[in-house]
Amino acid sequence: MILSPRPALNAIAPVPPPTATDGTTLLEVHELTVAYGPKVAVDKVSFDIRRSEIFGLLGPNGAGKTTTLSAIEGLRRPRSGTVLLNGVDIVRQPALAKAQMGVQLQSTGFQSELTVRQVARLYAGLYCVAMSGQDLDAALTDVGLGRELDRTTKQISGGQQQRLSLFVALIHHPSILLLDEPTTGLDPQSRRYLWTRIERVRNGGGSILLTTHSMEEAQAVCDRVAIVDHGRVLAIDTPRNLIDEHRDDPLVRAAARGEVTLEDVFIGLTGSEIRD
Amino acid sequence: MTSTTVPTTVEAPSLETMLGALLRADLVVLTKNRMRMLLSLMLPLIILTSTSSSKATKSFGGAEFILGLAITAGIAGTSIMGYAPMVARDRDNGVFQRLRVSPAPTWAVMGSRLSVQMVSNFVIALAVLVLGDNIHHLSLSAESYVLVLLVSILASAVFLAVAQALVGLVKSADTVQAFGRLLYIGLVIVGLFGASGGLGGFWDTVSKWTPVGVLMNVFAGVLGGGTFSSQDWLSLLACGGYVVALTTLGIYCFRFDSQ
Repeated sequence: MILSPRPALNAIAPVPPPTATDGTTLLEVHELTVAYGPKVAVDKVSFDIRRSEIFGLLGPNGAGKTTTLSAIEGLRRPRSGTVLLNGVDIVRQPALAKAQMGVQLQSTGFQSELTVRQVARLYAGLYCVAMSGQDLDAALTDVGLGRELDRTTKQISGGQQQRLSLFVALIHHPSILLLDEPTTGLDPQSRRYLWTRIERVRNGGGSILLTTHSMEEAQAVCDRVAIVDHGRVLAIDTPRNLIDEHRDDPLVRAAARGEVTLEDVFIGLTGSEIRD
Repeated sequence: MTSTTVPTTVEAPSLETMLGALLRADLVVLTKNRMRMLLSLMLPLIILTSTSSSKATKSFGGAEFILGLAITAGIAGTSIMGYAPMVARDRDNGVFQRLRVSPAPTWAVMGSRLSVQMVSNFVIALAVLVLGDNIHHLSLSAESYVLVLLVSILASAVFLAVAQALVGLVKSADTVQAFGRLLYIGLVIVGLFGASGGLGGFWDTVSKWTPVGVLMNVFAGVLGGGTFSSQDWLSLLACGGYVVALTTLGIYCFRFDSQ
């Protein structure tokens, strides 16, 4: 028995990827170095993200994934290196760069006194999205928050907060969506719903950069992944190519339990010791 | 949100629109914390009513000092025990980081909060002024009202600087709340007993130069017919010094996340 209506998750089938990205570079990260005092957390990291691509940053705890993302989001000033989004330098023109990116942080971060509708209205204003109250309500209803419009953010569930957070991140149709461990704590249905949403963003011409611990997620949704550890990029390629390339690596073979998976490649490259 | 098509051209959003959105949201938060504002009026009301007899009024330096203390206590309360804990709580919850990833500049995010808090402080000051005028039968002129409200704006700046320094120096939201309470009580007690001369030589001097003490002097100067003594001018200068020093400290030490 269904006790509460949910968005039509059962009706959302996996969205097939486009046949290819157009290959144009959207985000260029070049020799990015970020430090906390004397400790270098991100050490000359370089990668680029193409249009209509889902790019994953994989790494163990403390690898520098969130710090890399924070520098791209403009929350942390890099010590050196550049981040260009559509040719716009995030450090020199932060407002213009941020207008083109949508961000979902690990914590949803909304003021607890504001209602769902008021949060949506605030962020519509911050991104200069002109929407009537009616259109905003309709858009929130589309993502399954129609019944929560007048409830405060502390009154809604964790899954609903995630949906609101994603709604706000996409409200201005950004060129790139940045997600920091977006499926942590989500139930399987919510996780699949999120995957479908981000696939739709990709198919609509947008790109996604996400950090994740989940190899299942990386293999299921990412077009390419970068494996990072100790602040450095160890490998960048499609999940399939990474498996094929490292299949015969002794460290990967040692980690494998049967057929080599992306997780085995990850453990082979980053080591099997437990991180804090 | 049905369409996810990416637009081909993007401009930086207008500052006016972003500021408007921030101010609207912060005003909503303020109106939802009406109880906190009402509680901030309690201590000023106690000060005004408990000193309404002529003997008590005289022992605390006169009605002008008492009114100055009451307004100062009200503004200090909303700033140190209202603004500071709320900023610390929002920092812990990631609210500032969420706002900072938007195109809104950081100064606009904090400026909106501070502006709305100034409005709250102004409302408190006006309420205490009206109550104090009636309870102590001061019969203030319109000019005096304007001058007192101008000094209230200065008082807001002083105590918001104190609050910002507090939340800059202390990372934990619980510690901000606890320390804020101690700081508030300490400042008010020192101000209250300093005005009565009940603390003795050294503490009287200390009391005169605390944020509460200097503001009480400035309020008394303004309420006492607008003639400023040299002590009042020095107090005004000290207010400016507090604003500059504590704001600088608050901005330099403030971190937008609690990690």
